[in-house]
Amino acid sequence: MMSTKAEGTFFTPRFKFNLSCYFILLIPISMLTLFIYVPVMWAFSGSMFEFEIGGDSQFVGFANYYEFLFLDPTTYPSLLNMLFITFFMVCVRLSFPLVVAKLVFSLTKEKYRYVYRIIFLIPIVVPGVAVQLIWSGMIYNDRGLLNELLRLFDFSEVGFLLAMGFTEEFLRSISPSEWTMGWLSDPRTALIAVVFVGFPFVGGFEVLIYYAGLTGIPESVNEAAEMEGCTGLKKFFLIDIPMVMSQLKLILILSIIGGVQGFENLFILTRGGPGFETTVPGLWMYFNAFSFQRMGYACAIGVCLFVIIFTLTFLNFRYFKSTEELETQK
Amino acid sequence: MKKSKFRDFILHLVIMCFAAMTLMPFSFALNNSFRSNAELYRSFFGFPREMRQAAHAGWAMIRGSDLQFAVEDWDNEGEESVVSASTAFHQHVRNFTRGYRLAWDVLRDYMINTLIVVSVTASGVVLMGSITAYILSRYRFPGSRFFYYMIISTMMFPAVLTLVPSFMLVRELGLLNTYWAMLFPYIAGGQVFAMFIFKGFFDGLPEELFESARIDGAGHVQLYLNIVVPLSKPIISVVLIMNVFATWNNFLWPFVVNTEGEYHVIASGLYVMATSHFAQNFSTLFAAYMVSSIPLLILFTYATKPFIQGVTSGAFKA
Repeated sequence: MMSTKAEGTFFTPRFKFNLSCYFILLIPISMLTLFIYVPVMWAFSGSMFEFEIGGDSQFVGFANYYEFLFLDPTTYPSLLNMLFITFFMVCVRLSFPLVVAKLVFSLTKEKYRYVYRIIFLIPIVVPGVAVQLIWSGMIYNDRGLLNELLRLFDFSEVGFLLAMGFTEEFLRSISPSEWTMGWLSDPRTALIAVVFVGFPFVGGFEVLIYYAGLTGIPESVNEAAEMEGCTGLKKFFLIDIPMVMSQLKLILILSIIGGVQGFENLFILTRGGPGFETTVPGLWMYFNAFSFQRMGYACAIGVCLFVIIFTLTFLNFRYFKSTEELETQK
Repeated sequence: MKKSKFRDFILHLVIMCFAAMTLMPFSFALNNSFRSNAELYRSFFGFPREMRQAAHAGWAMIRGSDLQFAVEDWDNEGEESVVSASTAFHQHVRNFTRGYRLAWDVLRDYMINTLIVVSVTASGVVLMGSITAYILSRYRFPGSRFFYYMIISTMMFPAVLTLVPSFMLVRELGLLNTYWAMLFPYIAGGQVFAMFIFKGFFDGLPEELFESARIDGAGHVQLYLNIVVPLSKPIISVVLIMNVFATWNNFLWPFVVNTEGEYHVIASGLYVMATSHFAQNFSTLFAAYMVSSIPLLILFTYATKPFIQGVTSGAFKA
């Protein structure tokens, strides 16, 4: 195709070839520009305006940012909620799946190891929305698992304790059956209930990723550890965890990003309520945009969240070294 | 040897506890999708009554006994009648599958929408991602680095930043309440990650292959169809599956752009259903959650391997 005779100096075969490359890239790049770069720029520019959808816009400069950072009474409670949720998510997603992956990895038979990995993957076929709805309708519901389990323990109906001379009133007051409540609608428990969705937090993805990390530990390291008498818990903390550091780092970044920007689960479970107990900035952005028609303000919140995510990701890459980087440094 | 057997036994026990707790909500949802609200309120735990009675009637039917059975008709406000074994069996089965029938009536349209959106998105993403990666991985031309970084740097922008302006854009383009409102942003966003994965793979293909084909006079199309595609089948299936899972689970975007509710997909449809007049009809809701899991379960069963491969290669980043 490049052997065609050069006609003049401008339309060289090389130029024609480049042109074909540009032509092929035209559709992907224009889609990217229109549906990603335009919204991104619109987010920054829109945050300087106060406007409704389809209405007039008015330039307000940094007033939206000022309002979000200094005037809006929901900002700091919601940021605290976000911090709590993110911190919790990071903790559980770095610990539970790693422990399970290690347990599965320690099994002798490859067959069982494979079966267990598949078992923990099965729940991912359930849409995320359905998982949240199942938890709110099945576990936290007034007639849900949690309350029904508590109702099973009513000491005031235990004849043995009554015979021992405890009054019925006292027994009832210490029975778990008295603790039943609307877990998602009670301000004291709403936030805890929200983060406990997905208990015991053994996500199939994380297990698979950590498992792959554990498989990647060279046999020589394992043998050396065994010869030195480093087994069990000691090996887990001194050998395994440092060796799966790059996987931990991946999950850490994903959890942080997910925690800062995620609000779908809160939207489904509580819609930020009761009051503002479970509101996070992302959810507040959603309500501003789609309920209160404050598009500019919503854009400003989005930009603030972007700055947070960007900073945290950058810090993570900069200061939290993965296994390979640690090795090359030595 | 004996010690390791004991150790394995303990390990099995602990892992099974975790697995049981992980699967518990889903098993309760499955169980209660066969039970009426009255049963659920009487006792949370317990086997579906209609299922047990269906088994009784079915057994009587098989034996050919001429016993009469009393059955309720749930479709008819629980009207009771005394009928023969086979009629009773069928009535019981109709009763405990009532939730599924009601759920399917609602979900059918959502399911069709989802299949359209998911399949078009996945094929678009694979096509766009692979041709972009092919060009950027195999050729150097003025601006190729620029395009590469331009594509890669979009991974930096989180969804939360673009949610509101994307909505405004889609609205300005007049795409609200169409399939395109989902397809265009999904493909534009998904191709970035697909390109990233494909490029990593194409970079490793030997240049000699392409060189010899080019000497034989192959153009872009022939190179792509005859060399790139056949060699990258495994990686294509990985990208396809990752994309299907991501699209399938996306709830917020379809929910936002379907202001009139006609083009809801499964994810947003489930939420709409759970907040509709079905809100207190638990068997129907749980049945809906179960039905909505079936397509991915089938996909997962047939494509476990590329899926695991995709996850472990860190392909789930985006």
